[in-house]
Amino acid sequence: MDVRGELLRIAMLGWEFPPFKSGGLGVHCYELTHALASRGVEVDFYMPRTEFEMKGTTPRLIQVMPVHFGPYTARETYGPDFMGRVMQYNIRCAEEVEKNNRERHYDLIHNHDWLTIKAGILAKQRIHKPHVVTIHSTEYDRSAMGPNQQILDIERSGVHAADRVITVSHMMKKQLVDKFGLNCEKIRVIYNGVDPDKFRKKWEVRKYSKEKVVLFLGRMAEQKGPVQFLQTAQKVLSVMKNVHFVMAGGGDMLPYLINYSIQLGISDNVTFLGYLPESQLKEAYAKSDVYVLPSVSEPFGITALEAMASGTPIILSKTSGVSEITPHCLKVDFWDVNRMAEYIIALLKYRVLNHTMGHYEVEDARKFSWGKAADETVGVYRELV
Amino acid sequence: MPSICFYFQVHQPLRMRRFSIFEDNNGDPYKLYFNEKLNREVFEKVARKCYLPTNSIMLDLINKFDGKFRISYSLTGVFLDQCQEFNPKVLDSFEDLAKTGCVDFLDETYYHSLCSLFKDKREFKEQVELHRKSLSSMFKCKPVVFRNTEALFTNEIAKLVEDMGYKGMVTEGFERVLGWRSPNYLYRVKGCSSLKAFLRNYRLSDDVAYRFSARWWSEYPLTAEKYASWLSRCEGPLLNMFMDYETFGEHQWEDTGIFEFLKKMPEEILKYENLNFRTPSELVGIEPVGEIDIPNPLSWADMERDASAWLGNDMQKVCFRMLEGLEPMVRGTKDERLIRIWRLLQNSDHLYYLCTKSWADGDVHKYFSPFDTPYDGFINFMNVLQDVRCRLKEDIPKKR
Repeated sequence: MDVRGELLRIAMLGWEFPPFKSGGLGVHCYELTHALASRGVEVDFYMPRTEFEMKGTTPRLIQVMPVHFGPYTARETYGPDFMGRVMQYNIRCAEEVEKNNRERHYDLIHNHDWLTIKAGILAKQRIHKPHVVTIHSTEYDRSAMGPNQQILDIERSGVHAADRVITVSHMMKKQLVDKFGLNCEKIRVIYNGVDPDKFRKKWEVRKYSKEKVVLFLGRMAEQKGPVQFLQTAQKVLSVMKNVHFVMAGGGDMLPYLINYSIQLGISDNVTFLGYLPESQLKEAYAKSDVYVLPSVSEPFGITALEAMASGTPIILSKTSGVSEITPHCLKVDFWDVNRMAEYIIALLKYRVLNHTMGHYEVEDARKFSWGKAADETVGVYRELV
Repeated sequence: MPSICFYFQVHQPLRMRRFSIFEDNNGDPYKLYFNEKLNREVFEKVARKCYLPTNSIMLDLINKFDGKFRISYSLTGVFLDQCQEFNPKVLDSFEDLAKTGCVDFLDETYYHSLCSLFKDKREFKEQVELHRKSLSSMFKCKPVVFRNTEALFTNEIAKLVEDMGYKGMVTEGFERVLGWRSPNYLYRVKGCSSLKAFLRNYRLSDDVAYRFSARWWSEYPLTAEKYASWLSRCEGPLLNMFMDYETFGEHQWEDTGIFEFLKKMPEEILKYENLNFRTPSELVGIEPVGEIDIPNPLSWADMERDASAWLGNDMQKVCFRMLEGLEPMVRGTKDERLIRIWRLLQNSDHLYYLCTKSWADGDVHKYFSPFDTPYDGFINFMNVLQDVRCRLKEDIPKKR
């Protein structure tokens, strides 16, 4: 009997991987590859070479070459040769896949987002195996100032060339159909997951102080809605004292936002924490009274799932993928500062609301495990292999 | 020989508007709290789809069968108020039905309230009295059978109802209460001396109210012939078919064939010599066969058939206790308008929207709710209740 008959071996082409990460993509790759491994799927994870020492054997990490720039940080910091470096990485990545394939005999190539989509296409041409791409966001979601046409072209041709496209929400799926004219029969929606047992519960931790805490966690970029968050904070503070607004995350808008909070006259009640390491992140969720995701455009929004897992009530922008999956939240239009403020006030004022929502959220978060996401991903692989 | 006892609940809630704490909230609280435009729209829609066409069919049937087709209703006070405000023709059509002598009316709480669960029963008695007065003036009738909001029933409530002079009271015929016994008989109630309980035959009632258009149902499509044959095979002296009146044309849309079903049903039923139609007032003289004991709330709602549709989670309980707690202050104002607003807020629908149950019942709650989520509903309800309390605490005459 062929032992490999049931086993799958995947060449996964990624960009971020913990601890080298800045957002949801890194978390996704880490959790997904681990859950896949426990399902007998072997993953070789290709990624840029970083200064971090990468340990562990699950998945097998293959560091292709250094790229000298961070993951999704501000594009300006990428430098003028940004696209050139990306393409060079993609070519090298495909070469590595072809080289390793002689020994590893991959069944399938799976890449994440546009940064490595070319590598996926090239590798497919070289080893003649199916190519799956997961789209976590498109250029439309990432760029507030207008999308980069070159990146849009890469995304469009990439999703058309792939054999299957996985999206992290129906919102994302619709975008690919509407904006890129992609055939919806090729698309599979697989939501991100969370492991509630890894998160401390709001009711189990001691608070920082008696002050109520409202949390924003994400990159300080236009599309994440930090401006609306500050405007909302001002509204809340106009009727309620003793509330603290915590903004965690780095990003190019940080200096502007600090100034803006001073302009609004609320700087005493706003704290900017910068980029939070994993350990502090979990504390932050559990010690907050409300989590707000005011994104202008958020294909999924993994942080909201993490807040749910901590039992912290969530207020979600209607333009977020995560708002598709749970009824245990409050939904707002990202521009509706008044409504957002009313929801925050209610969650701070009415304890019974805060508790009821928090408890249902934890229960609901259990429905979205990484194991489930991995099972569904294997299902997509099996359609092709 | 089973008598078929049709009883229809007629009610439309007065839905709240979205109340914002960032708006100028001085002025007429009625306008601030209730969504007049939405209420008018819904009422007009349901009048067009259900009340007017169904009443006209009922009247035709009563005339056609010359007194052999008999039915009963309970109309909430909130519904009667909306008839007068939004569409008096609806009220006229109920008056026409009342004049036939083949239509019986039941009493209930005027504001479709859960005040029977308040510790102080004064409010309950007053609301029943209000309802009794308006039925007497509108339809010249004096009901002898009572139906509490959402068929909510306990031994204690039954005793109160008996003491108010009623001979019978309707509720749900649920196994938890009946055990092996059949709902097709009348029962005495523990702690009452003579009050008789009418128990809904929920299977036969829901065959029409819920399953009529359900394609997954093995008996789909339900025809009047088939239904009549089921009824003819039932044992016991009475078959209690209790349902929302909005079943006709609103919950079951016209294109499901519900009106055709209704038009044919009496004829098919009267083909059987052992079947006839009777109203609760006519049946209340039947000798009861046993006693039921209901210490905890029984109702006709959700799978649990208890009070959990309105008081199942902590948010609902907090709102309910707050409503109850406002009573002394509200009464203290002696301000009829504020008392009426407090009573409108007691409407059980406001609590129903806050239900967090999942599965099929959750979907039913959601279908009826004007809010996206129960949390949204809670925030609005609580903000309104807080506003009421502020008004009561402040100098009331100034704010009025």
